[in-house]
Amino acid sequence: MATPEVAAATPDQLKGIKEAYEYGFHDPENYAFKSEKGLSRSVVEGISSHKDEPQWMRDFRVKALEHFEQHPMPKWAGGMMDTVDFQNIHYFVRASEKQGRSWDEVPADIKKTFDRLGIPEAERKYLAGVGAQYESEVVYHQIREDLEKQGVIFLDMDSGLREHEDIVREYWATVIPPNDNKLAALNSAVWSGGSFVYVPPGVHVEMPLQAYFRINTENMGQFERTLIIADEGSFVHYIEGCTAPQYTTDSLHSAVVEIVAKPGARVRYTTIQNWSHNVYNLVTKRAIAHEAATMEWIDGNLGSKLTCKYPSIYLMGPEAHGEVLSIAFAGRGQHQDAGGKAIHVAPKTTSTITSKSISKDGGRASYRGLLEIAPGARESKSKVVCDALLLDEESRSDTYPTIRIGEDNVDVGHEATVSKIGEEQLFYLMSRGLSEEEASGMIVGGFIEPFTRELPMEYAVEMNRLIELQMEGSIG
Amino acid sequence: MANHTATTIDICKADELQPGDRRIVEVDGRKVGVFNSAGELYAIEDRCSHDDGPLAEGPFDPERRTVECPRHGSLFDLTTGRPKTLPAYLPVDTFDVHVEDGVVKLEVR
Repeated sequence: MATPEVAAATPDQLKGIKEAYEYGFHDPENYAFKSEKGLSRSVVEGISSHKDEPQWMRDFRVKALEHFEQHPMPKWAGGMMDTVDFQNIHYFVRASEKQGRSWDEVPADIKKTFDRLGIPEAERKYLAGVGAQYESEVVYHQIREDLEKQGVIFLDMDSGLREHEDIVREYWATVIPPNDNKLAALNSAVWSGGSFVYVPPGVHVEMPLQAYFRINTENMGQFERTLIIADEGSFVHYIEGCTAPQYTTDSLHSAVVEIVAKPGARVRYTTIQNWSHNVYNLVTKRAIAHEAATMEWIDGNLGSKLTCKYPSIYLMGPEAHGEVLSIAFAGRGQHQDAGGKAIHVAPKTTSTITSKSISKDGGRASYRGLLEIAPGARESKSKVVCDALLLDEESRSDTYPTIRIGEDNVDVGHEATVSKIGEEQLFYLMSRGLSEEEASGMIVGGFIEPFTRELPMEYAVEMNRLIELQMEGSIG
Repeated sequence: MANHTATTIDICKADELQPGDRRIVEVDGRKVGVFNSAGELYAIEDRCSHDDGPLAEGPFDPERRTVECPRHGSLFDLTTGRPKTLPAYLPVDTFDVHVEDGVVKLEVR
């Protein structure tokens, strides 16, 4: 398959990128409902009541809250997760009473926010469907009619549960059970919004489906829940983006994403995470790939205060293939604890995990990964590559790779590099007329090129803009 | 399997293991959970294949014939020993259990 060309950002597109975090604005609150701060059984049951859910989902939430209370806090990210104050969070904020099928039906101030983020324009140009979540719920949702006619379901998760309860119940929490970990338990208790995608056998959704997540309120918790089922031989590309205002106090984003790729299906899940630097981003993402299925996580982490995210793939059927391609950019005050996991259960399965991290201004980036080959997964192959780029002396990069191999006849490789921007590289580029900042930016751009070249062109341009923004002021 | 000798032990009187009840017993150093699902008896290794923690003490659903790992939530099928949900993906052992002369008997290989 030909690699798509990636366009460089034009000067016009780069205009304004020096203005710090450009998505840090916030709107006045004019909400239909906002829960009090804190987590309790009554908050959890209140969410279920607001959504008029079936009893089994209400019971699921209550049980999940018990798991959350019983589970210890994970020790990932050097204990930094202990600083999350779960009682200082609003767990449910309903921004609008109804969801729009056209942008004109979305409340004016919220629509203005998405206009500023460029979502309606992107939808017109190159997307097959869009879901826009504002606070706890999806305020706009639309899918192209031709896909709907082919039986493709793309709904917000709340509507998915209402309209397709049987399918949802069959797969719900089978990939990530509520007591898998403390954050999965929290999401299971208070989940709201997210996407439900079902692609029928043999259907290829050629243009991406996009979900956009926006937090507006201070001390807000956003807990979307996404379930994607790609039936046999189908294909879908799902893209998510996220931003929030810059506040002095912290917000929490804790999603659960479950994906099932049935035999011969291919799912690509792309994330451009650009939360403001006051958001804890603690996410559980996991996929099952059945026989000859392909699962790809393309995961870009630029924003947030702390991100803990390790997208994983369970290769359950013979000849299934998994890819995790992740980049993390950790600037001042940021900790990106990212990585990926591939678990080979069936024979002749293959995987690649490529992780690239950039740290600057004292930022900390970690790769935390797992490669596991179960007994019986003979003739499986996997390659793990972790590259770290440190831009100054005060920044930090750590690698925590775990490899477990329970089968003899396999092929496993692991490579790791840590590098700094070399004086010679800078000198060479500056001798061609570039400033030191431009030269550094170009080196960083080249370093993450394996990631940007996998993005649709419009996103690659956006990604380059974000990297330039992150690089701003990095010299001297 | 041919290279293992089966050990048969008495668990309890049949009327002491009512539908919805379970017992956890130790045989030759192996822990086994014995379950009564609506009158059908099942025996499964008391070990979650995810991280080797205890399994049989977790939530038991007699209707669906499942037991849930109390540590990370994998749901195991009592009839086959196979996990129905992640994070476990390998099956655990199951054993023959039956009633003979009013006594529940477990056969462990």
